[in-house]
Order: sequence, then structure tokens, then C-alpha cells
Amino acid sequence: MDTFLLQLLLNGLIIGALYGVVAMSFVLIYKASQVVNFAQGEFLLIGAWVCWALLAQWQLPFYAAFFFTLIFMMAFGILLQVVVLRPLIGEPIISVIMVTIGLSIFFQALLKWIFGVSAQPFPPIFASATINVFGLPVQTVYIMSLAVSLAIMGAFAWFFKYSRMGLAMRATASNQQAAQSLGISIRQVFAMAWAISAMVSAVAGVVVGVVNGVSSALSVFGIKVFPAVILGGLDSIVGAILGGLIIGVLENLAHYFDTKWLHFGNMIGIAPFYVLIVILMIKPYGLFGTKNIERV
Amino acid sequence: MASISMRPCGDFRTRYADDTTIFPDRAGRNWVIVGLALAAAAPLFLDAYWLELLIRIGYYGIAALGLNILVGFTGQISIGHAVFFGFGAFASGYLSREWAVPVWAAIPLAGAWTAAVGLIFGLPAARIKGLYLAIATLAAQFILEDFFARAEWFTGGVAGSMAAPFEVAGFALDTPERFFYLVLGYVVVLYLAATNIMRTRDGRALVAVRDHYLSAEIMGVNLTKYRVMSFGLSSFYAGIGGALYGHYLGFVSVEAFTILLSIQFLAMVIIGGLGSIMGTLMGTAFMVLLPEAMDGIARGIEGSPIYEALNLQVGLNFLKEMAIGAAIILFLIFEPDGLAHRWRQIKAYWKLYPFSY
Amino acid sequence: MKTTLLLSATCALALTSGLAAAQDKGVPIGHIADLTGATASIGKAYAEGVADALKYVNSTGGTKLAHETVDYAYDAPRAVATYRRWMSSLKPVAIQGWGTADTEALVDTVTKDQVPYFSASYSGALTDPNKKGPKSTKAAPYNFFYGPSYSDACRALAQWSAEDWKKKGGQGKPKWVHMGANHPYPNAPKVACSEYAQELGFDVAEPITYSMGPGDFTAQCLTLKELGVNYAYVANIAGSTTALLNACQTVGAKVQFVANVWGYDENVMKAAGQAADGVVVAVRTGSIWTDNNPGMETVRKISAMSDPSGKTYRQLSYITGICSAAYMAEAVDWAAKNGGITGPNIKQAMYQTANWVPKGLEGVCLPSTWTPDDHRGLLRVMIYQGKVTGPTDAKDVSTLMSDGTMSLNKVAEIELPRRAEWIGY
Repeated sequence: MDTFLLQLLLNGLIIGALYGVVAMSFVLIYKASQVVNFAQGEFLLIGAWVCWALLAQWQLPFYAAFFFTLIFMMAFGILLQVVVLRPLIGEPIISVIMVTIGLSIFFQALLKWIFGVSAQPFPPIFASATINVFGLPVQTVYIMSLAVSLAIMGAFAWFFKYSRMGLAMRATASNQQAAQSLGISIRQVFAMAWAISAMVSAVAGVVVGVVNGVSSALSVFGIKVFPAVILGGLDSIVGAILGGLIIGVLENLAHYFDTKWLHFGNMIGIAPFYVLIVILMIKPYGLFGTKNIERV
Repeated sequence: MASISMRPCGDFRTRYADDTTIFPDRAGRNWVIVGLALAAAAPLFLDAYWLELLIRIGYYGIAALGLNILVGFTGQISIGHAVFFGFGAFASGYLSREWAVPVWAAIPLAGAWTAAVGLIFGLPAARIKGLYLAIATLAAQFILEDFFARAEWFTGGVAGSMAAPFEVAGFALDTPERFFYLVLGYVVVLYLAATNIMRTRDGRALVAVRDHYLSAEIMGVNLTKYRVMSFGLSSFYAGIGGALYGHYLGFVSVEAFTILLSIQFLAMVIIGGLGSIMGTLMGTAFMVLLPEAMDGIARGIEGSPIYEALNLQVGLNFLKEMAIGAAIILFLIFEPDGLAHRWRQIKAYWKLYPFSY
Repeated sequence: MKTTLLLSATCALALTSGLAAAQDKGVPIGHIADLTGATASIGKAYAEGVADALKYVNSTGGTKLAHETVDYAYDAPRAVATYRRWMSSLKPVAIQGWGTADTEALVDTVTKDQVPYFSASYSGALTDPNKKGPKSTKAAPYNFFYGPSYSDACRALAQWSAEDWKKKGGQGKPKWVHMGANHPYPNAPKVACSEYAQELGFDVAEPITYSMGPGDFTAQCLTLKELGVNYAYVANIAGSTTALLNACQTVGAKVQFVANVWGYDENVMKAAGQAADGVVVAVRTGSIWTDNNPGMETVRKISAMSDPSGKTYRQLSYITGICSAAYMAEAVDWAAKNGGITGPNIKQAMYQTANWVPKGLEGVCLPSTWTPDDHRGLLRVMIYQGKVTGPTDAKDVSTLMSDGTMSLNKVAEIELPRRAEWIGY
């Protein structure tokens, strides 16, 4: 196999891990509170900008800035859920989708206003910027992101299997009324789901920001998350991770074919959406989603 | 069926025709006639700026009505409405430019062509429901946008293409005053057509599909047929709206038909009121006038300390976008049934005064 | 709903009264700018240059110009709609435009309405007033711009690259590639320049697409490496160049980047740091902010119109905006003295002086000549190379340029032949 393809695949895996992390946060919210969060990309963006502001303008050390970003995102997630989403419990799905779309537009414009339209680079964090993996120079921060993604996935797995709150979330996701009858506070579960999702997305946002600089381009992760979660199944966290990885690899494979033979120029951007349509046609519940059997 | 109306005591419906009438009482009908007369006389006392706004409300309103038929009356979701709007604009421009079709014929033809494309999209869409349909239409938005950017023969590629101005026997409708009448005509005809459709058998079937599709299927309503028909109808409206837009501006470019426009259409429909024809027009007027009102306020406070503090020369565009998002959120939290519902409440308050509880 | 109507009615009244006042203040000029859209990173500086220059012209005598700035966020249909609105309200005698998509869309309209259009788009298609050239696509008698066209600047960069290859002792045919987004502005020089590159002996590879906004361009940089490209023409704006340079440095792609006039400036050097070292860029003006000559003195006075402290560093786009506005102002002045300020007269004014430099801007705006048959005002391209010697994150652009960490040095001055087959192409 030629090195070009190998390098593209490696790049795909790294980006795919990030997609997987964002997809996980998306599925978390969907599983816990049945809300489709079109504003997931904006969570990344807010996390990245807040961390950048703390680093570049307030001159905090990286670990402090990162920690405060997480605290901010947790508070932000809870606030969002309480103020905007709680009044919409029980409304038809179109209303919920529109509210999150409205949030997405609002925050994109707000952040462009506050921080400007130019991309801002992060101050350098690591001593050496790149490490060699199998002869391909990879940004250190991507290695860190891979490690962080794996850690998050592990933490999620432990959280949902062994912790009380995680069990409560799974119960709520499975049957809200039964969970309520057992004494689980649905409000707390919803708020917690949004808080965790916001924090995890912020981590992904910071990672992407460190590599490429912070700009409104991070919102595109919120759009790319849809092919990933549909591929994996909307209510499966494992599916979300796999979906993200597959989409990342697929994009780069499409770019490979585009460069070698097709010469369209932008397959890397549009290929995930063709895949999305195909999946929706043949296997709408994805690889791991629960099938909803309907004859009508 | 018509919505709940406040009939005074003793005013009974004696014929079946009364049940299906569009205007349940004389007052409503008279107000509409007065409104139309005012609109027809508008170019006499409004200047070009306001006429342009009304024209914009007109062609967006037609497209938004299509979306309301799809979302409000049939219960499906579409986040890709802007590309159908764009398809109508490109199709009409293409027909009038490459095939020398006179513009008055190109607009309905473009609507029909867009309807055909909508039917093609509707076929797979009929199998998917709810959230999955929303995501599929989102993907369709991006794919069609990409197609517009690449199909140079049809759209002129990324550079865009010109659409001929509307001309009938040498009389060109290229000023706002003249084009206004064309748009007014289309709005009246298409809105009446939509109201009419909703009181026929097919319209009731669409509402049945929305309310409880299982029961509808049991009663014999063919779900696939009506879902596909709904897509086709909504695309027809979008195509006509887009064609009017294209011939008014004279220049059609793929950059105008982004996901933000799709979201604006959805906002028009939701803010106006799902399932309400009059609400669509109100919602469209709200969404078109909101940025203009902000422009006006910003110009009014130009030079003042608030202006400098908020850096409004650059920030105004962002503020307008934020206002769209904020309007969507606030309406959904505080008035989920839209302006039409609020209007009905206001009417009820005054009709039943002082017994408005 | 009623309150909204009332509010918007009051605001409209305020708006129209505001507009009426503007017309008393001077000759109406339209100014279409991108302050918040995809090209805002360079659009804002250029718009500030234009606005400050017009303010300076008003303060130093000459015909008073009243300009109305509209931010169209790089959305071509919005620019077209603004133009239509202006035709019935502001009625400008000349327009300072911005982007390629909207300028090209308005060519026929401004010709019909006889409104001189000074764009910041240097598309080759705008240079032929009479559609006489063999490869011209449209007649653009009312379009002017200061500076070399995108095609000509790219040809100059290709020429520099060919000479550079020989100087480095390269063996065989060097490889050239065009990198840009699929959009009218990056697409403008693609075919023309690749043709000239082939003529110069380059092996031209398939163009690479990457977006105009920032993003992750690792895949495109891997493609550069795979194709073995020696010289890559960067057709996008500065906003995405930073990301491109960073990605390519990480991937280890050893390519000489040659950037178009909008693709590289001092802000890119600061943002990309070491990755921006060695990039070559075509520059339209004779000087940059750190130079000192009589023309730059005027530029500093103009900059003081919006920044009295003189501390803001003005990037390349700002100075270009000044030149564009200055030529227009002098043309309006000439028209005022020779038959009245109308569109056709301003157009005639542009042909009056050969090797024209606006008063006070000697050394900054290069001598340009427009003729009724040829709107290629400038065929001399300054080639500059950026040098970054140390870390750039801690200090601001002014300090970095003044203490020598960053510098933009002129490496060549290329005068292209005025070939007849290159007009409009």
C-alpha cells in the first residue's frame, strides 16, 4: 500500500476519534432526554473560545485554563437545559429541533461578534509540536486527543455501568415513567446529561483548536456528527464512536479516490452526506441502533 | 375543516356549503377584500424600499406556504427547503436564458419542474419518519448545494447566472412598482389555492396523516401517496417562489440558498403558526421585517455611545443573525403555536369582551 | 406585531431622513464591503483603507465625497440587491466594490447604468472594455481596479518561480499546482496562469481544492507531498493560508508557496509563525507599512483619520484600499472640472494620465495607465518574501515587524509584457 493512502488512513483515524467523541456527546443527550442537539458544534466552539480567551487574554497556564473551561461548560450545559429545553418537554419533535437550531445560530453569531471572524491560534502548549508515528509526523496534540478520547470512552463505559448516576441515566433513557416511579429525578438526569455532553464537546473543541486554531470552522463538527450517529445508531454510544471513526476514515478515503481518479475537488467535504443518504435508505437504524418495527 | 370561529348566537349553518366555506363570517371576508384593495393601491403611497420589502414578503411567503403544507399540514419535517427554492430560481433562469421561454411561462414551468424534483425526493422520504426525515433533508440540502455549485450548464456554477427580467409584449416589469403587482397576483392565487386544497378530500387526508397516521392508514388513506404528494406540492410552491425571486433580482447564485435560508423558512412557518395559512404570511412578514427593523434602529443610534460600545458597524450583521436565532427560541418557549394563535386569542378577547375567560 | 410595524415605520422615517442628509454632504459614492463574511479578515482592513482615504480627501479640499458603506458579508446576491436599491435611492456616481462574484455579476448592469465600478476584485475578465481579446468573456467598459489582475500577478509569480528553480539548480521540470476554493475569486486565474506556467516549462498538476475559511487541510497537504509539487499557487485569502501553512509544516510537505495578492500578509506571518517563513507573495503597492517615503507619510496621515495614536499596524490590504479610493477621488475631481460629475465623465477621467500616481502617494501607488481599449492599469508586480526568525505568539504585529522577528522583503520586480492575447483573460 502506498504511503499516501496509509497517511490518509491514519489522518482519518485521528479525525475520526474526534468525530466519535462529539458523536458520543450527541448520543448522550439524545438517549437521556430525547432531544436532537443541532447545536453540538457550537459546544465545541464555545469550549475552544473560552479556553483560548483564558490562555491568550488572561494568561493562565494551560491546565488551569482547561479546568476552568470544563467548569464553565458544565454550568453552561445545565443552564441551557434548564432555561431553554425544560419548557419544551412534551412538545413535538419539530419544536425541539428548531430550538436547538435557533441556539446554534444564536451562538455562532454571538461568538463571531465577541471574538471576531479571524482564526486565532492557540499559544503553544507542548514542548515539541510533532511526534513520529510509523514515519508520519503527527501533531502531539492529536496523540493527546486520541489518548483523551480513549480515556473519555473508558470513563463513559465505567460511568454507565457502575455509577449510580449512570444507571439512573440509562433507566431514564429506557423508560422515563418507570424511572420516575422509582424515585429518579428526571430533571437532574437531564441537566447532568447536558452538562457532561457540553464538557466532553469542549474537550474536543480545545483539541481541534490547539491544532488548527479557533474559528467558526469548528461548527462544522456539529454537522459532520449526523452521518456519524446515523451510521452508528442514534441511541448507541458504542455505535457513535464507531460511526465517528468510520466517517473520518471514509472522508480521507474519498479524498484519496478524488485525488487519484475523480478530480472533483471536494469529495472530502460531501462524501459523508452521500453515505448518510445511503444509510438512511437501506439501514436507517444504523449499525447498533434499536430497530423500531413498523409495518406502516 | 376550518378552524374554530366565533359565531354569534343564533347564526346557524344551514347548508353543507357553509361548513366548508373559507370565510366563515362576512366580516372576515370583507376585511380580506379591504386588505387586497389596500395592497393593490400600495405602490401609490409607498416608496421603492417598502415595495421591495413587500415583494420579498411575497415570494418568501409563497415558499413558506409550501413548507407549511409539508410541515404544518402533513406533519413531515424538511430542513432542505432552501434548495427547492433555489432550484425554482435556477430552473426559471435556465428556461428563460437557454430555451428562450418567455418569463411568464417560465415561472409556472419552473414550479412544475421543481415539483417533479420534489416528488423524486419525496419517494424515499415517505419511508422515513420524524428525526430521520429531518436528517435526510439536511443531507439533501448539502448535496443539492454541491450540485448547484458544480452543474455549470444549469446554474452557472459558483459564479451564478442571470435571469431575464419579466417582459410581456415589450412591457418590462423590472421596477419594484410593477413587479409588486405580479407578486401580489401570485400570492393571492396560490394562497387561495392552498386554502382550497385544505378543504378538499386530499387536504383532509394530509391532516389525517399528520394527526395519527396509523388511524389514517386503517381508514384507507394511502400514506405513501399523500406523503409524496405533500412533498411535490410543497416543492411546487417553493419553485414558484424561487422563480419570482430569480426574475426580480436578475441574478441567481448558489450562495443565496444555504442552510440558513432553510432555517429561516422553518422559522417563518413556526413563528407564524404550523398549520395556519394566514399564519404563514404573518410569520414571513415578521422574519423579513425583523432585520430591517434592526437596521433602522442601528441607523437611528448611529454615532451614539451605545453604538460605539457594541461596535455596531461590524456587529450589526451578527446581531441580525442572533436576532433570528433568539426569535426562534423565544417564540418556541413562549408562543409555541405561533402568531396565528396569538391573533386568534386577541380576536377572541375582543369578540367575547368582557367574558374573555 | 403592531408594535413591530410601528417601530419599523418610525425607523424607516429615521432612515430616509438620514439618507437625505447624506446627499447634502457631497457626491454620493457607494461602498460595498465585507466586514463580517468569509473574506472579512482582509475585507475589513481594505474597507477601512477606503473609508479613511475618502475622509482624508474630504478634509484636504477637492470635491466632497459622501460614501455609504454597506456590509454584504461576501454574499453576492446581497450585493446585487444593494446595488438595485442604490439605483433608486442613493444614485451613486461611482462604486467602490469588493468581491469577484458580485463584481462579475454586476458588469452588464453597471455598463447599462454607466456607473464606474472600482472593485477589489482583480479578475482578468474585468480588464477588457470592448471584448476584443481572443479569450475575453465579457465587455467591461465601466470596471476599473488598481493593481495587477489575478492572472497577471499569478503569471509574475510563475515567472519568479521559474527563475527561482534555475537559481536553485533544480533538475528537470518543476511541478506547479493551483490551490484554491471552488469559487469565482480563486478560480479567476486558474486556467490563464496554468497555461503560462506550462509555457514557462512547468509540469502543471491537477488543481487542489481547499476551503476559503480555516479548517483542517492535512489531506490536501498530503496530496501536495504525494504529487511532489515544487511550487504551489495559493489562490485563497489569508484566513485559510494560516491553517494551510500549519498543516503542511506538520505533514512535512516541502513546497514553495507563492500566494496571490490577498493570500499572505503580516497577520498570517504572526498567526502561522515559523510555518510562514519563506512564503512568496505578490504585492500591489510600492511600499509596505514599515517603509519610509513621502507616499507613506501621506498614508500615515490617512491612517490617523481613524487611529490618531498611529499605533495600529496597517496590513497590505489597507494600503491597497487607499490607492483604490485615491484614484477614484482624483477621477471625480477631474470630472468636476471637465463637464460635470457623471459616470461617463469619471470613466473618461481614468484615461487622462499615463503612468498616473495620485498626488501625495508617490512610491506607494505604482504608476498605472488605463486606456479606452485596455483596462489593465498595472503590469508591474512586486514580489515579496516573508521571513520569520523566531516565535510570534507573544507580541503583536507592530512589535514583531519593528524588532525584526518578522519581515517582508522585496525579492523581485517583474514587469510583464502587455500581450494582446492576455487581455480579458
